[in-house]
Amino acid sequence: MNINKPNRTSRSVLLKGGALAWAQLAALSGLLTMATVSSAGDAQQIIRDRCLSCHSETGDRQAPFSRISQQRKTPEGWEMTLQRMQAIRGLKISPQEKRTLIKYLSDTQGLAPAETEGVRYVLEQNRNAVESLENQAIAGKCSVCHSGARVALQRRSEPEWEKLVHFHMAQFPTIELLAGARDHDWFEQTINEIVPELANSYPLNSTQWSDWKTVKKQPLTGSWRAVGWLPEKGEYEARFTVTALDSDYYNLDIRGKYADGSPLSGTGRALVYTGYEWRSNVTINGIKMRQVFAASEDGLAMEGRMFLRSANELGGAVRAVRESPDRSHILSISPSYLKQGERSVINIIGSRLYGKIALGHDLKVLKILSRSADRVSVLAEATEGASLGKHPVSIGSANGGYLAVYDRLARVEVTPTESIARVGGNGGKLAKQKVAYRAVGYAAGNDGQPGTEDDLRLGYMPAHWSLKAFDEVAEHDKDLLFAGTINSVTGVFIPGDAGPNPARKMSTNNVGQLAVVATVKDGNQQVSGDNHLLVTVPTFMFPVIQ
Amino acid sequence: MKHLKSINKKAKMLDQATGSEELDEVVAMQTVVGCTGVTDPGWEVDPFGGLGSLCQPMESDLYGCADACWWPAQVPDTMSTHPDWSSDVAKANQDWRKLDGIFPEEDK
Repeated sequence: MNINKPNRTSRSVLLKGGALAWAQLAALSGLLTMATVSSAGDAQQIIRDRCLSCHSETGDRQAPFSRISQQRKTPEGWEMTLQRMQAIRGLKISPQEKRTLIKYLSDTQGLAPAETEGVRYVLEQNRNAVESLENQAIAGKCSVCHSGARVALQRRSEPEWEKLVHFHMAQFPTIELLAGARDHDWFEQTINEIVPELANSYPLNSTQWSDWKTVKKQPLTGSWRAVGWLPEKGEYEARFTVTALDSDYYNLDIRGKYADGSPLSGTGRALVYTGYEWRSNVTINGIKMRQVFAASEDGLAMEGRMFLRSANELGGAVRAVRESPDRSHILSISPSYLKQGERSVINIIGSRLYGKIALGHDLKVLKILSRSADRVSVLAEATEGASLGKHPVSIGSANGGYLAVYDRLARVEVTPTESIARVGGNGGKLAKQKVAYRAVGYAAGNDGQPGTEDDLRLGYMPAHWSLKAFDEVAEHDKDLLFAGTINSVTGVFIPGDAGPNPARKMSTNNVGQLAVVATVKDGNQQVSGDNHLLVTVPTFMFPVIQ
Repeated sequence: MKHLKSINKKAKMLDQATGSEELDEVVAMQTVVGCTGVTDPGWEVDPFGGLGSLCQPMESDLYGCADACWWPAQVPDTMSTHPDWSSDVAKANQDWRKLDGIFPEEDK
């Protein structure tokens, strides 16, 4: 076993960032400051100039460089690789060269859209995703320390997966002494049993990738209609105007409004990797944000997450469609539920909303309150006997979404269902990691029993937010007093201060196990639901992929 | 654990947690992304999904673990990768405010 000696000179490239210098996705962010389109020849020359003191040229045009050509990764994955090379392998590379390489490697050795499905949450910086890799053996080895998605977003030849295990053994030699590792021959088992599974589950060569390479990639210029949600601000609708600055490099203008009518506007730049991985830095109403989207294979839709660059746990889903004279879309219906025998204002948001408004059987449009191609607002009524369930909504040829007709709110789900916050601040360098919650309402469905498979999802509902101790231990330790507070209106949880707390037994940190409670009004009744919130210690590591 | 006997409550909990069947359950359970709970103790959570068996306050025992790469995805390992991370902070429980995170370089 050969333990790598630390390279102290090259370590200086790792920033000691500070709470306000949250620099995640840093090189990719920097990439957006200038056009970076370079030829494959330029990129390969950078590899020759910068990487061949360790790597070598193979003479194979299909796989020209040792090790490098045996891997495929996301843009963030390649960024992590280059950062690791800088940090511990002495790579000297300029920011511009690094940007060029990330683009080139992502384009030529990236992941196909289908290969990122289900694990995009780490690219989107979602801090509260619950992981469930299909392969439990891999999950048991890898997500013991870091996300399983970090692994699931890589493709390697079998020898490369084996070398990755060697790297872990050398770089983190106590890995075989951890619980779950020291009771068996960890290294041998990982090499002999897990490596073949990795090579099988995440192979270098795949049909998805070879197919994706043949797809003609669509430029993403044009006008896009988008809907999304942001913590503290709520739902919004917007139009993204995307103009090309260079190949795969775009200017972005955003105009829209939040559900409360307040304006939303901003500008930014976007770079598209691998033909579909949209990454943009935008400033919206003075706040710096980041977009991580995946464009659909036909280039007509995008989905992903937009979040604050200063606190990337605070963000929300975005869905956008490219506008065209021959296509119309319904993007959102808000609220998405209507109670039997009641009337309510329903807002339908989309693109080219022309033609007849149809809300489905037993639902009447009493009055059109306002109407444009982007948005239709109606006063709608469900009859007393309106059939329970999902009623598809259409406006002319535009489809998408439904109104859920219900009799009684039966249960409330708090999302994210499992969540983690981290103490911070208090004069220290690390910021608090907050959590933003939303409440989802359900009717009981045909069986009349809430919590069963046929529950009818009604959609997001406004809620009053509160906290309670999660269990007896939390009650005994007074976690509620120390671990943090929640805004009763916005549902944003702010954890307690970092550092030992002399007011607690053994000066315990302000950690705790809490339940976040959402209480939703439904007529004269109130329905509450809760979830699990773990308030824990900070992390000191901020890799691009967790 | 064959030659060790757990004599207090916490040791018994850990003993149970390292039993192979229980460990399989812990490993197999769905986890919030990036949290480590099965090192002993974990960083964010203990083997039972709680906080009771973690080192608390974490600053008191931080270096004993960072030195040994114990949670390299959460705490900079000073053995191999980040030897100077805490060199300016002799006592973490007193000067924890000076400890910074490891962030990627922000290229200009």
